[in-house]
Amino acid sequence: MSISLVPGVDLHVIPTTKYKTIKLYIRFAETLSKETISQRTLLSNLLETNSLNYSTQADISKKLADMYGASFGFQVSKKGDSHYLTLVLNIVNEKFLPHHENILAEAIDFIKEVLFYPNRSEAAFDLETFEREKTNLIEYIESIYDDKQSEAALKLQDLYFQDNDQQTPSFGTIKDLEKVTANSLSAYYDWMLANNAVDILVIGDVDEEELLSLVKILPFEPRTSPFSPGFYHQPARQNLLEKKEQQPVVQSKLNLGFRTGIYYHETDYFPLQVFNGLFGGFPHSKLFMNVREKESMAYYTSSSIDTFRGYLTVQTGIEGKNKERVLELIQEQLESLKHGDITDEELLQTKEMLRTHYILSLDNGSALLEKSYLMSKYPKACLSDEEWLACLNQVTVEDIKRVANQVTLEAVYFLEGSLSYEED
Amino acid sequence: MKKINYPVVEETLYQETLDNGLRVTLLPKPDFHKTYSLFTTEYGSIDNKFIPINQKEYCQVPDGIAHFLEHKMFEKEDGDVFHIFGKQGASANAYTSFTRTSYLFSTTDQVVQNLETLLDFVQEPYFTEETVEKEKGIIAQEIQMYQDDPNWRLFFGILNNLYPNHPLHVDIAGTVESIQEITAKDLYTCYETFYHPSNMNLFIVGNIEPNAIMKVIKDNQLKKEFEPSAPIKRDLPSGTEPGIIKESSLTMPISKPKAVLGIKGVTPLPTTEKEQLIYKTAASLLFQLLFGSTSQNQLSMYNEGLIDDSFSYEFNLERDFYFADISTDTKEPERFVKTIEDILLTAKTSPDVTDERLALLKKRLLGKHLQSLNSLEYIANQFSQLTFETVTLFDLTEIIAQIQLADIYQVVDTFFLAENFSHFFMYPEEVKE
Repeated sequence: MSISLVPGVDLHVIPTTKYKTIKLYIRFAETLSKETISQRTLLSNLLETNSLNYSTQADISKKLADMYGASFGFQVSKKGDSHYLTLVLNIVNEKFLPHHENILAEAIDFIKEVLFYPNRSEAAFDLETFEREKTNLIEYIESIYDDKQSEAALKLQDLYFQDNDQQTPSFGTIKDLEKVTANSLSAYYDWMLANNAVDILVIGDVDEEELLSLVKILPFEPRTSPFSPGFYHQPARQNLLEKKEQQPVVQSKLNLGFRTGIYYHETDYFPLQVFNGLFGGFPHSKLFMNVREKESMAYYTSSSIDTFRGYLTVQTGIEGKNKERVLELIQEQLESLKHGDITDEELLQTKEMLRTHYILSLDNGSALLEKSYLMSKYPKACLSDEEWLACLNQVTVEDIKRVANQVTLEAVYFLEGSLSYEED
Repeated sequence: MKKINYPVVEETLYQETLDNGLRVTLLPKPDFHKTYSLFTTEYGSIDNKFIPINQKEYCQVPDGIAHFLEHKMFEKEDGDVFHIFGKQGASANAYTSFTRTSYLFSTTDQVVQNLETLLDFVQEPYFTEETVEKEKGIIAQEIQMYQDDPNWRLFFGILNNLYPNHPLHVDIAGTVESIQEITAKDLYTCYETFYHPSNMNLFIVGNIEPNAIMKVIKDNQLKKEFEPSAPIKRDLPSGTEPGIIKESSLTMPISKPKAVLGIKGVTPLPTTEKEQLIYKTAASLLFQLLFGSTSQNQLSMYNEGLIDDSFSYEFNLERDFYFADISTDTKEPERFVKTIEDILLTAKTSPDVTDERLALLKKRLLGKHLQSLNSLEYIANQFSQLTFETVTLFDLTEIIAQIQLADIYQVVDTFFLAENFSHFFMYPEEVKE
């Protein structure tokens, strides 16, 4: 069920008795822009830290504890041409509580407080909170780069994409954060609240009418031209881009970026899923079986697809001295798929895994909320479960060959570890 | 087969211990598409000295062998077990902890076939010198990857301080050197000793019909022959033996220093499982009272910039050992551990430890517990850790309700003893001493 509360603010409800909880998302979406990503991340940290009437994070935590350990927080993420800031709330269904307290109504009141009455006076966020959260966020971003697997993925993204907005991590950059002030963020917050496309998504054993009357207390204003999410397209590159860096770690990371030109529920979407499963998506894939198992050349190796940007990546953890051999092996696996070197068993197994993953996602509340959001924004995704599975089933070896021939290596990022295990 | 109803959480369990000693527990979840199955042996990285089955003398095996064995179970004469699960639409995995090794699959159909595969591959070992040699490279890579992970190193840094004479301080995967010594014969010795059905349990949760599934399991087990069951004799130092390293440090390529305070439990634990679960729940509530997100302590440390969002604390209790670790990224590692020590040593008079706050945190814990029951994986993992002689996961609502301030004080008195506190620091490489 989808209902428009006011123009640009929609409510989607998925009633089910399967869970012991009720889960709610409020998602703010706008065009992905380097200018605002860092602001949105900092804003999400400020909004979950305190508010006008819950002036410390301990006050917020106490309120959450009192609502039987409700979980609450904000997440930032990006998809295609969009950036999402999402409030996530999860509460226990009242029927399991000792006194069957109505914590859903209490929770919506709480959301109203933290979302619409932040901790600010005049036109600036509370300075103490602002400075502390800004410092912590900068340090958090630095720590992400301590994890070399994440660092390699981010460095590859930076290398592969030509556009500044697309190069930027979903959580922003330290440089951009440094420019944000308590005043500028306050102005941005007002703008976001008034102009972003808003979707409220709820899953659990809830009464739709009751929920509708509850969320109506959230004072959202109508939006004049709300943002509508889409894809990101990048022109093909003529030359292969390569970048190498050295760091004092033991394990080297070799990450590859490919262009697929294939998008979410557009032409060849299902063949691409099967291609990726065969290439490096599963433990029986060519990358895993040949690079890791047969040649013992990598601790991990896998591929993943981003169908909102027509992008495919391969990530590996290897010994630095094996780089050329691993690169060669990865390309051999792609070549074999281009030639349709796929057994019936491999094909069947890959489809079976994809089918299973799809059905498993039907048990996962967050996945169901995400799916319902995407269906409302990308109408071609509106398939019934039977239709989805039928599309998957129809994929042939010819389809996979066609996709494999479209997948082009455009960027190679190599993080070379300069330590050996013995020296460490 | 015993049927147990838990009306408060709307769950029904089915249990039976088979003739060969295997303990089976089933939890039907008809609304779910998924079935998740966990096959666990009470055998982990610390079990490195024991009397092998049908022998008389203790033998010492190389560090990391339980984990190595877990890896090798998946490889059979006719190929890779992952492959078989994959063909049957399931995903399989395994993990090794200090005290347990678990094998699992999750699937949406062909439950029976996948279950047979799980039972058969874990109960039919196949190790050769050649495949053992080949695995060493892969596991060495895995060990190296952990060596690069600062938080993993931090955790083992403090364990090394708390348990200098106990195998708990050794990385679960062993070291690059220790795994070189492993032979196929060693693997069979460990396997025959610890993978006896009487040392194992099977838990299945999801879209299953309990009677039909129990029959499948029984038929499968009847086809196999096992040695008569006998208690396993391990030679391990007591997990509560006093003696720690007070402080040590390490440098790594990190951006901000890290500090951890560890507490070793030296007071012997209560003997019954129910009492242990009460102790564990009380300890967990105590740490939330003192350091949780509703505490004044956490707020002050956060506002002073002494801790950041990486601040975390955990309490571990398994077999006969228990410990806690409280850690953060901080620019003032020394002041952090000092502050934590002060809080621990004045816990009983802390304004954060009151009846009112305990009531609030019990409410929170109950809610978190109920929320976690959405996850079939969580349920299975929790069940595989208990023997259920006196208590199960679904009794936790009752146990939380029972806990009083007196239980909390008892943990303070038996656990927060200054001589069992240890510090471990990790510094960025630039400030190498």
